[in-house]
Amino acid sequence: MPFRSTRALILLGMTLAMLPFVPARAGDTGGTAQASEVRGWLLRIHEAAGHRNFQGTFVVSSGGGVSSARIAHYCEGKNQFERSESLDGQPRYVFRHNDVVHTLWPGSRVAMVEQRDLISSFPGLLQAGDDRIAEVYEVRSLAPDRVAGHDANVLLVKPKDMYRYGYRLWADKASGLLLRADVLGERGDVLETSAFSEVSIDVKPQPESVLQSMKKLEGYRIVRPMLTPTTLEAEGWTMRVGVPGFRQVSCVKRPMEGAAPDDRDPAALAQQERARSPVLQTIFSDGLTYVSVFIEPFDPQRHTRAMSTAVGPTQTLMQQLGDSWVTVIGDVPPATLRQFAKGLERKKQ
Amino acid sequence: MATDSADRAAARERLSALVDGELDANVVASACDTWRDDSEGRSTWHAYQLIGDVLRSDDLASQPGRDAAFLSALRSRLAEEPVVLAPQPLESAPAARLSPGTRSRGRTWVGASVVAAGFVAVAGVLVLTRSPGVMPAATSEALALATPQVAQPAPAVALQTTNVVTEPQALVANGKLIRDARLDRYLAAHKQFAGTSALGVPSGFLRSATADAADR
Repeated sequence: MPFRSTRALILLGMTLAMLPFVPARAGDTGGTAQASEVRGWLLRIHEAAGHRNFQGTFVVSSGGGVSSARIAHYCEGKNQFERSESLDGQPRYVFRHNDVVHTLWPGSRVAMVEQRDLISSFPGLLQAGDDRIAEVYEVRSLAPDRVAGHDANVLLVKPKDMYRYGYRLWADKASGLLLRADVLGERGDVLETSAFSEVSIDVKPQPESVLQSMKKLEGYRIVRPMLTPTTLEAEGWTMRVGVPGFRQVSCVKRPMEGAAPDDRDPAALAQQERARSPVLQTIFSDGLTYVSVFIEPFDPQRHTRAMSTAVGPTQTLMQQLGDSWVTVIGDVPPATLRQFAKGLERKKQ
Repeated sequence: MATDSADRAAARERLSALVDGELDANVVASACDTWRDDSEGRSTWHAYQLIGDVLRSDDLASQPGRDAAFLSALRSRLAEEPVVLAPQPLESAPAARLSPGTRSRGRTWVGASVVAAGFVAVAGVLVLTRSPGVMPAATSEALALATPQVAQPAPAVALQTTNVVTEPQALVANGKLIRDARLDRYLAAHKQFAGTSALGVPSGFLRSATADAADR
């Protein structure tokens, strides 16, 4: 019967015609790395940042704004020294010796002295053999490129779900130092680029320059924020349903004053002194990026309106939760912040 | 949208280039829109296709009604074919509800596949656009604004499902913050830890250093 074969042909033709529309769900295996390889690459980048001596000019451009800083990093044995000088806007100097950080604003003559606990989450996550990063990110190497006069290997870090952003990383071939990092949004668009415009690697270390600058604090009003380590559960809260891939890495109670002196507005400065209610800051990480969840008692005078903003890749969300005010900040898509806010709830006694 | 003759001539040019496969990729979408929106465009398209066919082969030159007659004859003959791969016995005829037509047996299965193929083809072309100025903080308002602009050629955008109801209002920032001094402090507190990010202490640390400079 001639029409049976006609129908078969038509069906075959339709199937073939539909094939191009079948979404390519199978991940391309060419170039995707094993978990151990991924660990190796990222560890190398991390090591170089800690143990190499380098100085250069670093430029960050995001959301239409560009800012740059001259930075230097020295490593002598177990000690790390860092110096950073902002080149745009208000002058600001940051000096670091291991976990002590001095931030100086010469304009308002305010100096902030902090003990920053270097959260060991990243190397810890990797070295413990915990392949969390490989669980939520797919890392692939791309063709080599050249940044700031140095040959670089290029890595594409693609998120496996929509709760985080992707990255493109350029690491110096010789040393592994991160030369440039692009934060990629959900549509593959570049949300932020941070890169060295020029850098000298393996320079002669000058730790004394950093130490001496840290001692020169005359004429500065010194602010020392006191952080009290604690846990989310100890404060009576719990994250009922977390966001996949993210784990709590730190929790502190901190007064929210004095962290951002603004010499253009002395009234705001005075107000900051008054606002001494401690805020609970919990930090979650998926290995590459961080989300901070701030919880404080609700104050109708200050907490007027729920708001969500975006500055480059950094999203923020502020809203009321029962009798508390919650602020969530992170370099993640806004949906992730909303998920964090939704999952937070008071612990049942 | 093309009302004056210059636009129409340009649209015809585009259609002609599309038929020949010589149209730039970024203009293809607008040429397809012309075909879709403008009945004159459709008849122009039909004319160009016919011209091409006739040029290629004399056999393809025929009476205008011949194609339509052939298609309707084919459809009626297909409808009379018994269904070869009916998943259920004939008496329950579950495939009947898939059929857009009134017949409850015979053409149902094939008809449904043809319709499905058509939908898949259309889905491949449908794009939902969003104006490029809107920052990632999407609200239901922003999405509602975007839907009337479907016709514009633009890079394809993934559909975003937004939570309705308790959606905080989005305030778009251009590298500088909408002024809220307290938000500044939260950001500083957050970046304190972002400095020790996975990608190496200096990288995140410096990002925060320069970004803070921009905020002020």
